[in-house]
Amino acid sequence: MPTVHFTDTAGTVRDIEGNVGDSVMETAVRNGVPGIVAECGGSLSCATCHVFVRDDDFAALPPMEDMEDEMLYGTAVDREDNSRLSCQLRLHEGQELHVTTPETQV
Amino acid sequence: MSSPAENAPGCPFGHGAEAPAGHHGYEPFQMKDPFPAYAEMRAEQPLMFDERINYYVATRYDDIKAVFDDWETFSSENAQAPVRERGEAAKKIMLDGGFTAYSGLSARVPPEHTRMRAIVQKAFTPRRYKALEPAIRENVVTRLETMLARPGRDGDMVRDLAYDIPTITILTLIGADTSKIDTYKRWSDSRAAMTWGNLSDEEQVPHAHNLVEYWQECLHLVGAAKESGGDNLTADLVQAQAEGAAISDHEIASVLYSLLFAGHETTTTLISNCVRVLLAHPAQWGQVVADPKKIPAAIDEILRYSGSIVGWRRKALRDTTVGGVDIPQGAGLLLLMGSANRDEARFEDGEAFDISRPNAREHLSFGFGIHYCLGNMLAKLQAKIALEEIVRLAPTLQLVAPESITFRENLSFRVPETVPVTWES
Repeated sequence: MPTVHFTDTAGTVRDIEGNVGDSVMETAVRNGVPGIVAECGGSLSCATCHVFVRDDDFAALPPMEDMEDEMLYGTAVDREDNSRLSCQLRLHEGQELHVTTPETQV
Repeated sequence: MSSPAENAPGCPFGHGAEAPAGHHGYEPFQMKDPFPAYAEMRAEQPLMFDERINYYVATRYDDIKAVFDDWETFSSENAQAPVRERGEAAKKIMLDGGFTAYSGLSARVPPEHTRMRAIVQKAFTPRRYKALEPAIRENVVTRLETMLARPGRDGDMVRDLAYDIPTITILTLIGADTSKIDTYKRWSDSRAAMTWGNLSDEEQVPHAHNLVEYWQECLHLVGAAKESGGDNLTADLVQAQAEGAAISDHEIASVLYSLLFAGHETTTTLISNCVRVLLAHPAQWGQVVADPKKIPAAIDEILRYSGSIVGWRRKALRDTTVGGVDIPQGAGLLLLMGSANRDEARFEDGEAFDISRPNAREHLSFGFGIHYCLGNMLAKLQAKIALEEIVRLAPTLQLVAPESITFRENLSFRVPETVPVTWES
């Protein structure tokens, strides 16, 4: 079972087990993880599920598509090199993913 | 439409869905103050069949969000269907005028919708419209200064600000003629009336002519972009097509037909509502004047409390249930987001306006899921710029006779026609 480790800006860590094939955003919303807003529900239209991915996990992620890249210019907290939109990150078997949520999404 | 009695004992509307004679006070096209009726429906009959419009009316947050989310069961194909069937005269005008538009994206369904949305989304990105921010701000300031220079100290925030601002923005983005604001507003009013209005056959005629003109202009814009390119969304779509993106000329024109309406109509209303609702709550207006950082949260709360679109439609593709009520295949649903947004089950003290509400942004005014409003960020950006400049330049703004504000008759769009204001000299 994949596990996502969410760290918020205060440093609190939440370890959430997810389902294979679900997105990190869905995993967060379903488990009430604060710091992920996901207003649009995953249609790449709101940029409110922004996360920073730990560098060693980042490299292992599938590359982002153009539209995700474009939407990252619309985040409330400016994007960094390790930014992703969590609605685009699908979990796979055995994955351990470490992400930090930004101070605000809106 | 047969009456419930004729169809007894098998209830044609799904168990418990028949509306009582008073319809809980709900009047589908009346927008002045629909909220008491919404509250009664949520409490008494959260899924009500309204035989006057032939739709199942949903009013609870969870039901509405679930319907939006389940696009495989609840199709958006009826989202742009005329609520009142087009009369023969209007039909002929539109046929003779070559009117073949229906929907840009909102009433298209997967896989067609998925294909087109992916292409359009790439041409409608935060980077593209964030570049417009200085121009939007300058447009706002110019109009506010003009209004504030009026010696009579009387303004109308619709006419003096909200009407122009988003219209110029979307015309600029699309590469249309920015001197034609009034023309596009006239066409848009006709579109709103023809699709969601309650018009007689005769009343439809002038609007039919407007829609013909509007659609011809969309076709013309596509042709012009093909001929001479440009740095705008239309040219980008044409370019994408040339590079192999699967989108036809008719589809590009349809997208323009959608954006040249949706791209300003509801944002004009949002900016109007920002002023109208905040000024109606002077203490909270004072908070925003004192601390403009509160503006984004205030905008979310305005979208929740007084969204530009309070109802949107879906069609059931199979027999199903919503909120425990049976819905037959083929039935239309009217989802009242204006009610969902005040549902106490989701929003504590939901009828109260409170800019510090922590979960205001869970409102459904932009929909939810695959059809979520493409322009949501642009709309909020423009409302933010407008409010920032209003509180800076006109902190003493006050409403004049707010009870006299009228709202246009419509099934879906809740549009204040004026927001009269004054200020201290």
